Amino acid sequence: MNPQSIFGDLLQTQYQIWLLKGFLVTLEVTVLVIPAASFLGFLTAIARNSRWRALAWGTASLVSLLRNSPLLVQLFFWYFGASAVLPDGVRDWLNDTHVAVLFGVPIEWPSYEFVCGVFGLVLYSAAYVSEEIRAGMRGVPKSQRYAAQALGLRPVQVFRYVILPQAFRISLPTLMGQYMNIVKNSSLTMAIGVMEISYASRQVESVTFKTFQAFGMATLFYIMIIAVIEVLAQFLQRHFPVAGARR
Amino acid sequence: MDFTIIRSNLAYLLWGTWPDGPIGGAALTLILSVGSALVSGVLGLGLGVALAMSSQRLRIVLTAVLGFFRAIPVLMLIFWTYFLLPLAFGIDVPGVLSVMFSLSLIGGAYLSHSVYAGIRGIAKGQWEAGLSVGLTRGAVLRHVVLPQALRMMLPSFINQWVSLIKDTSLAYIVGVGELSFLAAQVNSRTMVYPAEVFLFVGMIYFTICCGLDLLARQTLRRHEGRAR
Repeated sequence: MNPQSIFGDLLQTQYQIWLLKGFLVTLEVTVLVIPAASFLGFLTAIARNSRWRALAWGTASLVSLLRNSPLLVQLFFWYFGASAVLPDGVRDWLNDTHVAVLFGVPIEWPSYEFVCGVFGLVLYSAAYVSEEIRAGMRGVPKSQRYAAQALGLRPVQVFRYVILPQAFRISLPTLMGQYMNIVKNSSLTMAIGVMEISYASRQVESVTFKTFQAFGMATLFYIMIIAVIEVLAQFLQRHFPVAGARR
Repeated sequence: MDFTIIRSNLAYLLWGTWPDGPIGGAALTLILSVGSALVSGVLGLGLGVALAMSSQRLRIVLTAVLGFFRAIPVLMLIFWTYFLLPLAFGIDVPGVLSVMFSLSLIGGAYLSHSVYAGIRGIAKGQWEAGLSVGLTRGAVLRHVVLPQALRMMLPSFINQWVSLIKDTSLAYIVGVGELSFLAAQVNSRTMVYPAEVFLFVGMIYFTICCGLDLLARQTLRRHEGRAR
């Protein structure tokens, strides 16, 4: 078979711009979801360790539900289901265009699909992040807590200055793995119409029939983002080594 | 909440139009899951052993290839196989097969790392003891190292298979009529109770995933009981 028919020539500039725009949307989703999911995941981890049984049990079952059903179905649920439940006023507001001005730069309110996609992805990822953080907290030796209490620290101080810094270092590698998953999972938002890179590549493919170039560029973009996170992970792990590693 | 829509579409969601038409729905989801779980298990085991037994240079090449599969989204790999396999080989590949192919590759890439780690986690003394009683390297691996390593690896196999089950929903994107696809179809046909439809479908997935998890835990406990 003639390889020319698979590889062919490069994409025209116009289509490269489509892909680039998709890449930017993927970046936007990632940059929004990572901090939000981290924060929510952190709160969830604390809630699961709570002394109030109902709170601990409730969050545990929510986390289990989110982790054991597909992200795609969850996105459909939020996208189609939530709009049926939301009050009309809220739904109209979300569907309308709004422009905020920040430091003289007009910022447009994102599309309803985008809001739903980010929301669904934040919840799904937070469930995973909370498990990593919990594992990190469990990894801190009990003696650390006792020692801190013996020094007269209050419970909040024990948590803030003794448990948390060590738990953070322990969970760092798996946490970075979850951030990579967020990038990869953002591809599913195309199913509800978020025009991120997978959506764009599919669109370019169906217009130009240049399958190899369209998917090739999208794949390269993903590998680029993952590689950047990997480098960042290595850097962070060197700067925050696990304290008192077994000698 | 009004679940009459579920009742009137229950059979369709569970097995599609079978036996009059092709099998679909939750039944197809199960077929996809079992198929790719088996292939990914074999692939993961083979590649993991290859990683553990190969020379330094081969291992670097293998790690790079496997790293590629772990760096790209499952969705992207499904696109590649669905649109490129027919182009490259000039044959018609059914959507179900190309999805199974992608899921097996990704699952295998992830599993090979746990298998490799499991084999490396077995103490050197086990190898030396096996070799010193005259077994070949292959025999030591088969009879001494793998049985111990596999028991340690079972939890990561289960985790991987649970995410496989969830990832079968991506077949939706290329129009394979599994559970998520039929759910979206039912939803767009009626457009009245989307929350109920997707809640119900989510619960089906939840049941399958948790069922697998429970089963695995029980097997593990029974094994440990016997080992003692």
